[in-house]
Amino acid sequence: MSKTVCRYFFDFLDGQEKWLNNMAEHGYRLKKCGRMTYIFDECRPSEYEYTVEFVGDKSYSKAQDYCRYLEGMGFRTFTKNINLNFSYGKVRWRPYAKGMGQIATSPGGFNKELLILEKKRDGAPFELHTDVRDKLDTCKTVRRAYGWAVLLMFGLIAMTFISGVSSMSVPMTWVIRAVILIFGVLFVIPMAKYSSLINQLKEESKIFE
Amino acid sequence: MRDNIKGGALTETTFFVLLAVYKPNHGYGIMQFIEKETNGRVVLGAGTLYGAINALAKKKWIAPFDNEADNNKKEYIITDAGKQKAREELKRMGEVYKLASAIIRGERNQ
Repeated sequence: MSKTVCRYFFDFLDGQEKWLNNMAEHGYRLKKCGRMTYIFDECRPSEYEYTVEFVGDKSYSKAQDYCRYLEGMGFRTFTKNINLNFSYGKVRWRPYAKGMGQIATSPGGFNKELLILEKKRDGAPFELHTDVRDKLDTCKTVRRAYGWAVLLMFGLIAMTFISGVSSMSVPMTWVIRAVILIFGVLFVIPMAKYSSLINQLKEESKIFE
Repeated sequence: MRDNIKGGALTETTFFVLLAVYKPNHGYGIMQFIEKETNGRVVLGAGTLYGAINALAKKKWIAPFDNEADNNKKEYIITDAGKQKAREELKRMGEVYKLASAIIRGERNQ
């Protein structure tokens, strides 16, 4: 029997991964995911486990190549959106990405910023990045994405202070500011977590590989 | 992948990947080779291995092996430049081993 759950994660990597693993522990295997929906099939509890990988910094062709490679390694893959972009028509600018990864198109890499990977639980940790340098690079990429989200939120708040931008009443404007601020804080939390992780990894990289 | 340019030292990941492709091998095979040969001490994550493979291919130390049968399991083989690097690394490690053995076993006063 299928189960559909509607959910959006501001903590799009760790939060989503924890939730998917929790669902798997309760006997739900991911079948399909949409922009805010997840469809699960029933399975044996803890039969599968999940990890979420950020690929929004990669160009579409590189992200596809990476996805094919991971499938070749035996993982089941799902693409997922984070909706963090500045858009014009069907072309989106992803300021946090590098090189050609900054341009996302639809159809293309837009709304496919994440890869959800599934494997059968075998007792081994589900770690995609094991090298300190590689972990560091990955964390920096993710922090940059959260950083831009935070910047965007504060930019939006700043815009509300420009006179003549909005015809809304003063109390309504403050409500909008408060809502944006809450979203900003929701992105600040994972950003701070990744900053702390980066500092730890930097220390480790002085000694270990 | 990070290599110490001054000293010429390769990372353990890099060196093991080079060793794993002396015979044509794909990502999963490389991962298994490293885990088996190190008795489970080194278990590479798929993402780390992907980065290492791409970096080595970019340096032309490894090259795709002509096998179009299964595109998801692209095979790689070490190149002559890669073999040269592996030999240099073996020599460097030998020197480190000799020095460390002498000091740690107390055969040499510092």
